Amino acid sequence: MSTTDLITVDNLVEVYADGTKAVDGISFKVRDGEFFGFLGPNGAGKSTTIKILTTLLRKTSGTVTIAGYDLEKHPKEIRKLIGVQSQDTAVDPELTGRENMMLQGELQQMHGKVLGERVDHLLEVVGLKDAADKRAGRYSGGMKKRLDLACTLVHEPKVLFLDEPTTGLDPQSRNTMWDYMESLNEKQGITIFLTTQYLEEADRLCDRLCIVDNGKIVAEGSPVGLKQEIGADAITITMESSAGATKEATKVAAKQVLSTLPAVVNTIDAEDGLTIYAKNGGIFIPELIRAFDKANIRLVSINVSTPSLDDVFLKHTGKRIRAEELVKQPSRAGFGRR
Amino acid sequence: MTLLWDTRNLFIRALKKLTRNPILIFFSLFQPIIFLVLFTQLFHDFNLLPGFPPGVSYLQFAAAGILLQNAFSSALQSGTSIVDDLNSGFLQKMLVTQVARPAILLGRLLTDACRVTVQSIIILALAFALGFRIESGIPGFLLIIFIIAFFGFAWSGISLAIGMRTRSTETVFGIGFTLSFPLLFMSTALVPVSFMPTWMQDVSSVNPITYAVNAVRDLSLPGYFSLSAELTALGVIAGIAVVTMGATLYLFRKVVS
Ligand SMILES: Nc1ncnc2c1ncn2[C@@H]1O[C@H](COP(=O)(O)OP(=O)(O)O)[C@@H](O)[C@H]1O
Ligand SMILES: [Mg+2]
Repeated sequence: MSTTDLITVDNLVEVYADGTKAVDGISFKVRDGEFFGFLGPNGAGKSTTIKILTTLLRKTSGTVTIAGYDLEKHPKEIRKLIGVQSQDTAVDPELTGRENMMLQGELQQMHGKVLGERVDHLLEVVGLKDAADKRAGRYSGGMKKRLDLACTLVHEPKVLFLDEPTTGLDPQSRNTMWDYMESLNEKQGITIFLTTQYLEEADRLCDRLCIVDNGKIVAEGSPVGLKQEIGADAITITMESSAGATKEATKVAAKQVLSTLPAVVNTIDAEDGLTIYAKNGGIFIPELIRAFDKANIRLVSINVSTPSLDDVFLKHTGKRIRAEELVKQPSRAGFGRR
Repeated sequence: MTLLWDTRNLFIRALKKLTRNPILIFFSLFQPIIFLVLFTQLFHDFNLLPGFPPGVSYLQFAAAGILLQNAFSSALQSGTSIVDDLNSGFLQKMLVTQVARPAILLGRLLTDACRVTVQSIIILALAFALGFRIESGIPGFLLIIFIIAFFGFAWSGISLAIGMRTRSTETVFGIGFTLSFPLLFMSTALVPVSFMPTWMQDVSSVNPITYAVNAVRDLSLPGYFSLSAELTALGVIAGIAVVTMGATLYLFRKVVS
């Protein structure tokens, strides 16, 4: 282990009791002080990975070390160093915000005046000072998430694990959460392991990220680096099917034409058309139109964009992280072997 | 040391939750109070039958049974609390802290014992108003409370184990309900053993409720106290507690891996 690697994961596998292979041999490292992310759709294995790393779930195989401690041999030492916000907001609705935090602090072996001051400070930081003595059950979704985040910070952890901390939040609450997370990482040097389904979130916050799908890491790098890897602009087109031809036949014909154009780097099926990756999109468009005209394929729309993480995801998995999947779904609260 | 402190804090948490939902305490008191008021009227003349302890009113006789019935069914609901914590993710949240693991169970069990104690005192007060008396005085009263709380404690473990195993509130309630009535009626809680058919006498003689009921009853009736019966009852309850705690700890370990 190099001195700057805080988390090392090697060939991690998790097979649930029902045979589901939720994590399928992943390896990665998180450096000290890094804002690291797992970006992937529902069911990719993000929560499973976090549960293993935070000692809640026993791995099937592989090795994990955090701050030099082996996960299996030194779970106690690891628990001292980490703060965890799970996907399901777990605040006690019958306790007030302050009581929730005080209990969390006590369980983290903090006591008395030190704890009281820490709790007051954190309540202020997450903007819950005025609501501190109200029962958490009466909080809004955003307030509960903020309280949950504050709870994870009470014992000044070195690493934070945040499992989809903004899923289900309105845009304003999400922005507030983003600001907190950024400042925790930048101002306080806390290493953050974030999982998300949101492209903009990963793009804005992460120094480095892994794109995960079906329990596997399909790409790894900085957001900028990953996007550059595409090395081309993304041009999404939709076409009108010519008389008598099916949509599929039209796509096949279009691909045929595209393969003759040297600027095209890659072509991928999109929902109702094609996504073409080509160098210098601006110059390429007229060329594209001419070629399609000649082949009698009628274009309905053309959309040029610089590549996003969605394009990176599409390139590696052949599908997009679909917006429908972003609807809040309760994750399985399960853990442990059953 | 950490264990004690963590237990204390989780105990306080559970007590706060309970006092903020006091309806829960009264909800489960409904049944014993019905028993206390209606049964003692309905079966008022039982004490005229042969085999009934002479000179003892039915209320004086049945109070012990009603107290233990309440402790038993309350204890069998205690698993719902851990199901709630499991399903809300609160248990997981506790488990990633440095909390001493057994404190999570101990805090729970102490709370349940406390709840049963409070309920028992309410029932005793009502019974007292209706004419019930504890012949052995204050020490007897304290011992009665102790036996009841200990009895509740032992059965809470079963309920917690079922809760962890099934993760379903309905199952916990269902099993509690299914167990509590047959065991109640096949014990000496409501009638003397001589009233029962022989097969039921056999069941009653191995029914733990019988031992606890007899111990409490002997403390409240004049001239029945016997040290050996009290010790046997405590021994039986301790035996149950050991078995249920074993099962609970085993399942708890499995769940938290
Ligand atoms: N307790 C469990 N038992 C069996 N399968 C599970 C369990 N928890 C999650 N899974 C499955 O494992 C896969 C990964 O789930 P998860 O780690 O929750 O994904 P993500 O957090 O990325 O949405 C999914 O197919 C999910 O259905
Ligand atoms: Mg998840």
